[in-house]
Amino acid sequence: MADDDDVLVRVENLVKYFPVKAGGFIRHTVGQVHAVDDVSLIIERGKTLGLVGETGSGKSTLARCVAGLIPVTSGQVIFDGRDITKLSRGAMRPLRREVQMIFQDPYSSLNPRRRVGSIIGEPFAVHGIATGTERKRRVQELMERVGLNPEHYNRFPAEFSGGQRQRIGVARALALRPKLIICDEPVSALDVSIQAQVLNLLADLQTEYGLSYLFIAHDLEVVRHVSDKVAVMYLGRVGEAAPKEQLYETPRHPYTVALLSAAPAADPDTAAARQRVILTGDVPSPIDPPPGCRFHRRCPKAQPLCATDEPKLLPEGVSAVAEITAVVGQDIHLTACHFPVAVGENLATAARAREPA
Amino acid sequence: MSITEVQFEAREAADGQSIANIEGRSQWQLTWRRLRSDKVSMIALAVIIIMVLLAITAPVFAAITHHPPNVAFPNTGENAVGLPVGPFTNGFWLGSDGTGRDLFIRILYGARISLFVGVVTTFIAACLGVSIGLMAGYFGGIIDTLLARLTDAVLAFPYVVLAIALAAVFGPSLTIIMAIITFFSWAGIARIVRGQTLSIKEKEYIEAARSIGAGPFRIMFLDILPNLMAPVLVVATLYIPAAVVFEATLSFLSLGIQPPTASWGNILSEATNFYQTSWWYVVFPALALLITTLAFNLLGDGIRDAMDPRTERILAARRMRRQRKRRRRATAALTGPTKDFPDPARQAPGI
Repeated sequence: MADDDDVLVRVENLVKYFPVKAGGFIRHTVGQVHAVDDVSLIIERGKTLGLVGETGSGKSTLARCVAGLIPVTSGQVIFDGRDITKLSRGAMRPLRREVQMIFQDPYSSLNPRRRVGSIIGEPFAVHGIATGTERKRRVQELMERVGLNPEHYNRFPAEFSGGQRQRIGVARALALRPKLIICDEPVSALDVSIQAQVLNLLADLQTEYGLSYLFIAHDLEVVRHVSDKVAVMYLGRVGEAAPKEQLYETPRHPYTVALLSAAPAADPDTAAARQRVILTGDVPSPIDPPPGCRFHRRCPKAQPLCATDEPKLLPEGVSAVAEITAVVGQDIHLTACHFPVAVGENLATAARAREPA
Repeated sequence: MSITEVQFEAREAADGQSIANIEGRSQWQLTWRRLRSDKVSMIALAVIIIMVLLAITAPVFAAITHHPPNVAFPNTGENAVGLPVGPFTNGFWLGSDGTGRDLFIRILYGARISLFVGVVTTFIAACLGVSIGLMAGYFGGIIDTLLARLTDAVLAFPYVVLAIALAAVFGPSLTIIMAIITFFSWAGIARIVRGQTLSIKEKEYIEAARSIGAGPFRIMFLDILPNLMAPVLVVATLYIPAAVVFEATLSFLSLGIQPPTASWGNILSEATNFYQTSWWYVVFPALALLITTLAFNLLGDGIRDAMDPRTERILAARRMRRQRKRRRRATAALTGPTKDFPDPARQAPGI
């Protein structure tokens, strides 16, 4: 169990629903999108928590809640001992220096009308830290640190390649020397060769400044490369969480197994030998999530119990009634499944057997 | 660094000049370059500049001709039966008006009023419209509903009728006219700005600014506004002639600038009594109005085209089409009247 001093962020029972509105003149709420539903996790100092899941699983919403960019429906985000969910915008301001974000799209995350120096210097301007030549000097230092030519201070974002633009984004996030950087799919818009450069840059910065990352991606290999702990999200919930070796080598949740088997392998022999678990159907609507286990309608191992009882996130071998203290992000392998996949079990055959003939 | 980046750097290093000139070209520099190659816009701009210079130097012309704008010259400015004299008569360059004043000088003084009203009201309307549109678009919710409905209400007014009523109630004066024109101009700009703001505020760089800790007004004016300047500038350029015409309309109906102060509208209004005998009295002020509004409209169109990067490609395609046609015509002329002669440029090699 992680010591409290090692924990930078503690998310407790975080819930975020978006209202679905309808009606032309008088708008009223007709439903709720369950974007994040009761998620608890911790991020340790100087470590990286990876978050994987398909589109619509609530990864980005969770990230924005942790960053304090959108209000939460319920639950707490405790950053360095302080709950940030109830802070006003003014009280939030000093905290903005501690949490920064790197965005997915390097084309839309930089204002096309502002020069690079102004973009990277914006955090200094907002917080009144450095002005004039001092600001310029610090911006150029940052540019150099992330591998950009400081002489390009007066250029526009359009004059840079995707990889360089993402470096600008990294420099901006780094400007205030935050403790936590939330990376929302920071490399998914980049070429593979550029991805590696940006990932290595992030890794170097982590060791240099002792940064913590909440790293979101849908690319399993990328998450494996950068993370210490990994959590898999499905429809607003964490399905499985573990230190990365355990998650990748002995996945227990059928969804994780399916995800891992779907990732393309670079080596054709590995790819041929691998048994793919083909999931049928689509991700259910987050407006009306299925009862019981949210994955049961697509799960090759589903049984009647799965449709009625919601499985809890538990360590291996612990029964549902036992008192649990384990939280996502610790050194414990947690799975929310009534019938976890055993080591060596072939899920692909089960999946095929379930398919209608 | 990728191979292409390395090559890019290498090319730059070889080209010493671009190393020195590391500053990127801004949107305005690019727009200006495109605008400069557009002949119509350049002529329109020249016309506007000449108009402005003439308006500024109106007193100089008054001194040269010894004809102050509001002084009548019954001896030289009226003929034997008391009608205005024609152009280039008795030292009246464009003739005289109904009371023997110099028409040219009065048109110049009228230009001062027209351009002043046009530019100043449009500027105030643009500031108002941008602020209201930004707030409506950025804050959304109840603020948006209120501001957007207010905008719609102003746009829905039968503005000529209301303007006449307002001018009649408050009494005609320059301030009242400008207030009325501004009141009816901001709404169109506000609506455009609101729409643009709605789309821009969803961009990730706005979220990035919020995550840094920037406040709403900083985001509105430093992040969103620069992205709106292009459409606002185009619309504002097109609103100036509208304001000029509006002022002329009100003055024509004697609800605007009051005689003896000259304005194109009230000159035209006075001229209606003389159009059968003195054509110049109607033609020259009307021409001034026409040329000015036309120049502003053409410049506005030119700026819009220059701001849109796609137009360059459209122009290039048009140029290429024209060249191809010319080449085809040339080859057709050489080989005699063969109608379906294939384009040599498109002919496959070896045939």
